[in-house]
Amino acid sequence: MIKFNQVSKSYNDRQALKNVSFQVQKGEFFGLLGPNGAGKTTTLNILSTLIRPDHGEVLIDGLSLGENLKDIKHRIGIVPQEIALYEELSAFENLMFWGSLYDMPKAQIKTKALEVLEMVGLLDRRGDLIKTFSGGMKRRINIASALLHAPKVLLLDEPTAGVDPQSRNHIFELLENLNQAGITVIYTTHYMEEVERLCDTIGIIDSGQIAAQGSLEELRRVSEAKDIIVLNTEEVTKTSFDELSNHTAFVLEEDATKLTIECENIGNEISGLINHINNAKITIKSIETHQADLESIFLKLTGKQLRD
Amino acid sequence: MIRIFKKDLVLFLKDKQGAILSFVLPIVLISLFSLAFGGIRGNSSSSITLLIHDADSTSTSSSIVNALDAMEGLNLIRSTAENANEEIKKGNDAAALILHSGVEQAKSNGEPLPLELIYDEARQMEVGIIQSILSTQIAWAIMPDNIEPAPSLFHMQMTSVVGEEKTTNAGLIQAVAGTAILMLLFNVAGLGVSILEEKESGTLNRILSSPLNPRTILMGKMASTFFLAIIQLTVMFVFSWLVFGLDITANLPALIIMIVATAFAVSSFGIFLAAISKTRQQARGLSTLIILIMSATGGSMIPIFMMPEIMKKIAVVSVNYWGIQGFFDIFWRNLSLLEIMPKILILLGIGLLISIISMRLFSKNVMKLA
Repeated sequence: MIKFNQVSKSYNDRQALKNVSFQVQKGEFFGLLGPNGAGKTTTLNILSTLIRPDHGEVLIDGLSLGENLKDIKHRIGIVPQEIALYEELSAFENLMFWGSLYDMPKAQIKTKALEVLEMVGLLDRRGDLIKTFSGGMKRRINIASALLHAPKVLLLDEPTAGVDPQSRNHIFELLENLNQAGITVIYTTHYMEEVERLCDTIGIIDSGQIAAQGSLEELRRVSEAKDIIVLNTEEVTKTSFDELSNHTAFVLEEDATKLTIECENIGNEISGLINHINNAKITIKSIETHQADLESIFLKLTGKQLRD
Repeated sequence: MIRIFKKDLVLFLKDKQGAILSFVLPIVLISLFSLAFGGIRGNSSSSITLLIHDADSTSTSSSIVNALDAMEGLNLIRSTAENANEEIKKGNDAAALILHSGVEQAKSNGEPLPLELIYDEARQMEVGIIQSILSTQIAWAIMPDNIEPAPSLFHMQMTSVVGEEKTTNAGLIQAVAGTAILMLLFNVAGLGVSILEEKESGTLNRILSSPLNPRTILMGKMASTFFLAIIQLTVMFVFSWLVFGLDITANLPALIIMIVATAFAVSSFGIFLAAISKTRQQARGLSTLIILIMSATGGSMIPIFMMPEIMKKIAVVSVNYWGIQGFFDIFWRNLSLLEIMPKILILLGIGLLISIISMRLFSKNVMKLA
């Protein structure tokens, strides 16, 4: 559906994208994850036809960005990071305006506007001015505005910025429904939990380069990020720890009351590890488990924290 | 208190553009108004132009012409009576002195000299100064030093060739036309700034990602600005008609075309402002500067005829000048549509030129996300 092949883009002396390549299949929910300034918005602006790459090839639905601009514009819907709406117009008036940019008959725009208003749960507020809406409601209309012309690809640039948890969930459900209806979604964010929940495939971008791409499981494998088990114990004696060390790679913290170990899969390994602990006569007070998440994957792949 | 003082000072200086404007704008305006009122150093009184036609061509009439010609501060231009009449009607000159035949004979007979001052009633200040100069200078030019001239001898016939039958006074036209264009400039500047607002709010990007051609987007913006400018000018003139009795019906076709041409030139300025500015703050600062300069030089704040020659030459670069002069042609000078056409074409030309430049700059500066 989308092919981004060896794309580079520079702003004056700063190279925003360096030979970036990735592919998104039809109907996929693709998350582009990276810290601020990593190149997410530049990637999305290229896909949105707002800027042209310096080098490389971009195909959307089999059409080249350089040759089929107008056709591509009909196939994509963009949800910018900003609330790109007219505050002094009502939700319905905003949607009627945005729909009018896509060569659709007025009656069709009206039908679609009511349809998307219902979809985002704001049909009863259609006559209210945008300036009277909460941040979350504005975000929902921001998304609705991109759906009027029934795009095949939805491009979202951090669509939940500054949104309360309830509205965020509403947006997630909406996007999941759209994706299930067959829309290909490209989603940029620096919130890992959003990517983990929503995306089939994840591209990790850092300093204008794709560090890795794949499903969460594939990224775990590639990055070699491990799950972590932490055991809070009674004081571990040297004899007990020596006994334990014959069978496991547990690390004893300095105060001798905490044991940690990295493992491939907590579920598969935890019972065996606890047996070794019992055999070494160590008393466990509590157990903490930490699955390898995107934060640790990102750290492994880029050597930096995602929210630096 | 000192901390707040220091903080405010730092904030003021951090906004470099605002800080510069705070000092530059008053200096620019003081300079312009000083120039306009003729108060430049070493040239405290600007010269006044007077057309003169000597139909008598005798030694007496020649001595009057020579005496006036020798006067500092009076720019005497020889002309025919018809040409003088035409120039005053067109608003190019304020007054002309006609020395009819029989000046020498009237002097010999001790009768009043056949002198006539034809003038534009709208330019009473200039005409008053000319009258005062003439009444003394002519007398001293033709009478021997030791003889006191009889005042009745130099009584001039005063003939207003423009505005003599007017119910509307020139001050009203100046006030309405000058203010209307000044306010219109502020309004279209606001509309121009709205493009930058759209850029900052993200709506421009959303429009640009739609199938609309970027040029179409700009033309749509220009069309809405142009349309609103026409409505605003129309409302201002209708208001002046209803409340102040400005006769807008006398030459309605010319007025409509003049409104359209002025609105086009002024609205192009709004788009130009948006095209050269990168942020709303920058556009606001620039608009204040440019509008005040154009209005001060173009006659919105001070009538053109009160300005010295150099300022009258500078004034032609201002949209205000052509607009105000065009409305004077309609309401005061009663010129036909054909006679007003050059001013209309100039306004349309200014509008077209600025629009083309704005389109290029807009594509380069505003629509470029990089």
